Amino acid sequence: MSPIRVPHVDPLPLPGPVWLFTVLLLVVFTLHVVAMNFALGGGLWALWNYLRGRSSPHRNSRRLADELSQMLPSFLAFTVTLGVAALLFVQVLYGNFLYTSSILIGALWLMVIPLVIVAYYGYYFFSYTAEKGRTAAGWILALSVCILLAIAFIFVNNMTLMLRPERWLEMYRAHPNGWNLNLGDASVVPRYLHIVNGSIVLFSAILAHLGMRKMKSDAVYGRWLVQRAALVFATCTGLQFLFGMWLLLAIPRPIAMSLLSEPLMGGVFGLALISVIAAMLLILLGSLAERPSMLVHAGFGVSLLTLFLMVCLRFLLRMAYLRPYADLNALAVHPQIGVIAIFIVLFIGGLATVGYMLWLLARSARVRSAEAAR
Amino acid sequence: MNYPHWQLALPGGMLIALVAVLHVFVSHFAVGGGCFLVVTELIARRRGDTGLLDYCRRHSKFFALLTLVFGAITGVGIWFTIGLVSPEATSTLIHAFVWGWAIEWVFFFVEIAAAIIYARTWESLPARDHMIIGWIYFVAAWMSLFVINGILTFMLTPGRWIETHSFWDGFFNPTFLPSLVARSAVSLILAGIFGYVTLPGAEEIRSRVARWAALWMVAGVVILPLALWWYFSTIPRFSQLYLNGVLIGVRHAVRGGVGFTLVALLLALICGVWKPRWMRPPVVAVMVICGLGAIGAGEYLREFLRKPWVINGVVYANDVRATQVEELQNKGVAVTANFLTTGGNDQLAYGANLFQLQCGSCHGAEGYRGMARRVDGWDAEFAADILQHIHVLRGTMPPYAGNEEDRKALGAYLASLNPPWHLQITDANRLEIGEKVFNSRCGHCHSVNGNLRALRGAFEKQTPAQVQEAFPALGMMSTDMPNFNAPDDQAQALAFYISHEANKPIAQKPTPQEMPTGSTHSQLRIPFDAGEVR
Repeated sequence: MSPIRVPHVDPLPLPGPVWLFTVLLLVVFTLHVVAMNFALGGGLWALWNYLRGRSSPHRNSRRLADELSQMLPSFLAFTVTLGVAALLFVQVLYGNFLYTSSILIGALWLMVIPLVIVAYYGYYFFSYTAEKGRTAAGWILALSVCILLAIAFIFVNNMTLMLRPERWLEMYRAHPNGWNLNLGDASVVPRYLHIVNGSIVLFSAILAHLGMRKMKSDAVYGRWLVQRAALVFATCTGLQFLFGMWLLLAIPRPIAMSLLSEPLMGGVFGLALISVIAAMLLILLGSLAERPSMLVHAGFGVSLLTLFLMVCLRFLLRMAYLRPYADLNALAVHPQIGVIAIFIVLFIGGLATVGYMLWLLARSARVRSAEAAR
Repeated sequence: MNYPHWQLALPGGMLIALVAVLHVFVSHFAVGGGCFLVVTELIARRRGDTGLLDYCRRHSKFFALLTLVFGAITGVGIWFTIGLVSPEATSTLIHAFVWGWAIEWVFFFVEIAAAIIYARTWESLPARDHMIIGWIYFVAAWMSLFVINGILTFMLTPGRWIETHSFWDGFFNPTFLPSLVARSAVSLILAGIFGYVTLPGAEEIRSRVARWAALWMVAGVVILPLALWWYFSTIPRFSQLYLNGVLIGVRHAVRGGVGFTLVALLLALICGVWKPRWMRPPVVAVMVICGLGAIGAGEYLREFLRKPWVINGVVYANDVRATQVEELQNKGVAVTANFLTTGGNDQLAYGANLFQLQCGSCHGAEGYRGMARRVDGWDAEFAADILQHIHVLRGTMPPYAGNEEDRKALGAYLASLNPPWHLQITDANRLEIGEKVFNSRCGHCHSVNGNLRALRGAFEKQTPAQVQEAFPALGMMSTDMPNFNAPDDQAQALAFYISHEANKPIAQKPTPQEMPTGSTHSQLRIPFDAGEVR
């Protein structure tokens, strides 16, 4: 058997402390996953409701599909934009692993780019044609959603392969042209199902939250939305437990055991479990009442917390996987203090600018609704 | 050698070029077009010109669909591609400039948000607010260009970064400003070209928009040559020598870039300014193609002027770090590389693997920059010898990074790309075959009467027999010359050809002062001397 070869780390020092890159990675990756859940979970919701809404008794479904159609392209835009930042920071910490696994599945990895372009244009097409109820709109939406599902699969393959240097050389020799998948890894399928199903779970929580707000203007539609979203949320959360357990059984035993043996990982895992159960209870209790209550909002908030905890757990698991090959604390660091300060100022400025633009939108919406009321 | 080499059907560099050209084309439009939109909107609103405002509305939809989707995603595509093809160089850039990229990402984020809002809120936002969004978009887009320009120019002119490794030394490098001005000018030109894509149907407004878009192009075309002249005067000496005509590809790229730009400008002046009714979809299509062609030429030039580096002084075009070369030459690839497809027992298979690792970024066996036709007539010994001097050829090749065993294996592989020559030399074909041998053995570094290390001076007034006498000593003449080992019949034909060419009358002798021959050409090796890196 050939020795395990891992590309050496870059000779240049890290231009900032490891903790800062880690925090930034965890934050932007969480936001990326939220946006991705919008784009993928939202796409699946839109597709189901679009198909269902074509028959006359399901006017709410029709309306929901129309509303989602207007949002999907922007969701995808932010999925990509936030994904770029996550890709940037993960390269700093784990570049030598990520570049290698990407090259091993290079052909499929690069395919992500044209696939996203097609899915993105598909979402735009759907946003322009959904209202007219054309059959083509449904097909195009289905195509976009299928493409996003395929992209998720490619990502899961890469993200699991970067954790398994012991598989690299053999895989490279089998197909040096990049036509590889990491299917020999038992964790790929449950992890994929966990992520796709998770996107439905989180988007359902978002819809329940949005439904509560809709109730102010249209009580019937709002309640329908909250209750339907809560039902899907609960069902898919149940499934999520099954997929999660399958995943735990599929990852190598020593790494699964570290969830119990390492206090930090065990703590995050325990908190995530408590928080997902809390989110489910809050959303179910809040939505089952005759008048859905504020508990739904709380459930949505706890769902976001769960997601963040899951992202942290994912990072800790990655560290556990790569412990034999990488020690982040051993990396040379030479912080570029001045540039970091400029980045932080601009980052806050950027958020403020986006906030200002949203404020302009909200202000004009207020003026318009006041004029309409008059 | 550190990373696995992605074995593609085409050289990896071409893949990067393909993605980059498409992205640069659209992303520069995203900058210039944003400015075009918001300025046009401002004028339309001030004049109460509803026709012009309608044009802006329609153009913004096209703008958003092209830049937000194709432009943004191909930008991510460059990230993906460079990581796959040049992971070592990408890693260097990330470590040196991750905060620059993070800053660029902030602007990108604002840009995307503003573009989405701008294109969707023509009806719902008050005029003033809508224009504020437009200006926010343009400032964010141009700032994103500003930041990325610092990182891109660093790759050719790392400046003082080589010694200091300071972010600012690398970012505000010698070509930062001229490149920024040139890119801004290109953005204006593309704003004009793409302005024609959504030209209104009604005659009056059509004429006005056609002239207005032409004005943007003219502004860009006026600024661009000045910016490029500034840029070319600040690039390293070895890059300037490429521009002086040593490399045919560079000459074509310069001509192509100028040609495409002038054709687009001419069409804008004729069909935009003079006869706007002639500005029909086929004309617009030609202009868009010219824009793409000019960007393609520019990108080709930008990449080629950096040869043999991908980051000047740091990482070679084949993704080998300058600091790795010595270790590879001492220990050999078999010990140093992490991902070989062969065990090293089969010399030819190992040579093929080395070819992929060392040459695959720019060359394939066949096709564009294919090696088979370049090594026709080479035997394994000669190929292995040439590899030792590979960095000298025309200055565009990295040094060979391997030990003697590697060189022999790669030499054997290169020699195996063509069947061996079996030449029947007669008096009738001696000159022709001599030329063939010259092109195979000498032509990669020399010409007889041309501007590439001309041999006329050395062999003028010599008979074929006298020329041939010099061959056995060639390997000892200079450390950069390979040994001469061609069979006798080829040597005779070669000597005949050189003598013939060196003694034929020519209009003007090659003058070393004006052309990068011999001694001046050796300056192409500047990059190997860190002191000369600019």
